[in-house]
Amino acid sequence: MRKILLAAAGLALGGAALIGLLASGALERSVVSRAVETPLGADQIRALAPRGAAVAAAADCYACHTARGGAPWAGGTPFETPFGTIHATNISPSPEGIGGWSRAEFHRALRDGVAPGGRHLYPAMPYTSYRGMTEGDVDALYAYLITREKMPVANRPNGLAFPFDQRWTLSAWNLLNLPAAVAVPDPTRSDLWNRGRYVAEALGHCGECHTPRNLMQGLRGEAALTGAVIEGLEAPDITPAGLARMGFAPASLARFMGTGLSAQGGATHQMFEVVHYSTRHMARADLAAMAAYLFDRDAPEADPAVPAAAPAPTPLAAAGSDRAQASYDGLCAGCHGAQGEGIPHVSVALRTNAGLRTASPASVVRAVLAGLPAQTFPGGERMDAMPGFAADLDDAALADLTNWMRTEWGGQASTLGPQDMAAIRAAIAPRHAARN
Amino acid sequence: MTTPIQDQALSLTVNGVPVGPMPVPRGTSMQKFLHEWLGLTGARMGCGQGICNACTVMVEEDGKVPREMRTCITGAHWFEGRRVRTVEGHAREEADGSLTLSPVQTAFVEAFAFQCGYCTPGFVTAATVLIERLKAAPVPRDAVEAVVTEALDHHICRCTGYVRYHTAVRDLVLATPGLVTA
Repeated sequence: MRKILLAAAGLALGGAALIGLLASGALERSVVSRAVETPLGADQIRALAPRGAAVAAAADCYACHTARGGAPWAGGTPFETPFGTIHATNISPSPEGIGGWSRAEFHRALRDGVAPGGRHLYPAMPYTSYRGMTEGDVDALYAYLITREKMPVANRPNGLAFPFDQRWTLSAWNLLNLPAAVAVPDPTRSDLWNRGRYVAEALGHCGECHTPRNLMQGLRGEAALTGAVIEGLEAPDITPAGLARMGFAPASLARFMGTGLSAQGGATHQMFEVVHYSTRHMARADLAAMAAYLFDRDAPEADPAVPAAAPAPTPLAAAGSDRAQASYDGLCAGCHGAQGEGIPHVSVALRTNAGLRTASPASVVRAVLAGLPAQTFPGGERMDAMPGFAADLDDAALADLTNWMRTEWGGQASTLGPQDMAAIRAAIAPRHAARN
Repeated sequence: MTTPIQDQALSLTVNGVPVGPMPVPRGTSMQKFLHEWLGLTGARMGCGQGICNACTVMVEEDGKVPREMRTCITGAHWFEGRRVRTVEGHAREEADGSLTLSPVQTAFVEAFAFQCGYCTPGFVTAATVLIERLKAAPVPRDAVEAVVTEALDHHICRCTGYVRYHTAVRDLVLATPGLVTA
């Protein structure tokens, strides 16, 4: 009995000590050097700001830190997480934003996830990725943001339940999920590959969506870039094999990131915003480097002389196929063409569409049910709005149509049933399904 | 790429009259079928991309509120076995052969709602669908403005007739018993 009591007391003391240690921040492992304790001079800030604009574009700061219709850099964009809603914060140089932040404080927030006063950021802010940014780039970003217009917009409160509203617990999360050290250039790989890794991993934070997460919502490093589900949609596998399956090659991937359009279709949903706010503004050389890294190539590659062959159709039961073709001819072919060839500037091709070749049917089914908004792309390119067909296709017809397109053009074995369609339909906000 | 023309029988009901079965090439749009097989040219070809809605017709189903379909992007065979009402089917033909316009058509004429008239078939369709919807599910008086906007919003008019269309439909809704609660 006495032993048990002693053990319990020991455990309690140990637990308290651990909590104390976590709360004190003694276990934090900063990657920020002492060098940034020296403030930047006004001339340095002026000189660095233009480069910071390019860093901000590549790191896609704007998409999250500017609410749709809101003031630039003033935050407010909501993020649905399994633990509740988090709002992006004001990062304009106003008192509500980063107005009072020193150079070192900015570095710590961006790379350690700790804001002034020891306030831990939630990992919805991709500091686990930004941790790999160079001090030079972080300085440039600081110079750019601190010279924007001040936006006196209050931060919106987060809707997190206990214990997730306890920010100090994030020091435990960081201990388990934040890499202790950052990646250094690999001398065995080319400069192109190393630059690509930096652009994709640190700045572009591709893995924040395309890498699956563990129960703690930490990135699963062993499954990096193999695809994940985010807000009900698939961020597809972008490993070399996954990209090839979607029909990309290094050169076409770089073009897609620069324009948002390719034979593989248009960027939709969150990826459209990534292209719109970030990648279309990036240097072409960085896009080529990123594509080289994602394809694990050391040298740039021209377009193949002959495009990769389309995957062979997989067999599908005749009855389902006939019903699906009737639906396709009736509702889809008017815009996407009898052979799925699409119409330039109006509707994307389907027979080469990446969305039919990915593991999850969610993106395609969601587009069929709820439609897509009209989109503009660089160079005056555009795609028309797509109407939703929720009222025209029941779950059985939708399953047939989805299976047929995925087998005919995607080369997949697809045996989705009405229940799978019902689940996707239920996940779509009612306002989307209301009309058409 | 050319594919051989493949006929497929089509039967449907248009403006209350059974049509077919008749051979129609697969892939024919509903609009082309209405124009060139039936001589009903009221559903207009505007954008051909499902955006302007000048081409819409009503699809009627027993026990359901009718709905709009764009005929320029929808295949004729999708309407197999269905009941369709085009703009030619809204006015009532009297015993003496004269036509009595529908309440929506009358409201548009009285409000001078259109100028060139190209988009009007689509607006007649949308407004009629709305009236039928409100008969089944009336809305509060203060919601009428928004409901009319939502019902007409996807129709494009290049003569800027939106306000008169909107006013005509709103006034018709407010003046018709049973469409508005409280």
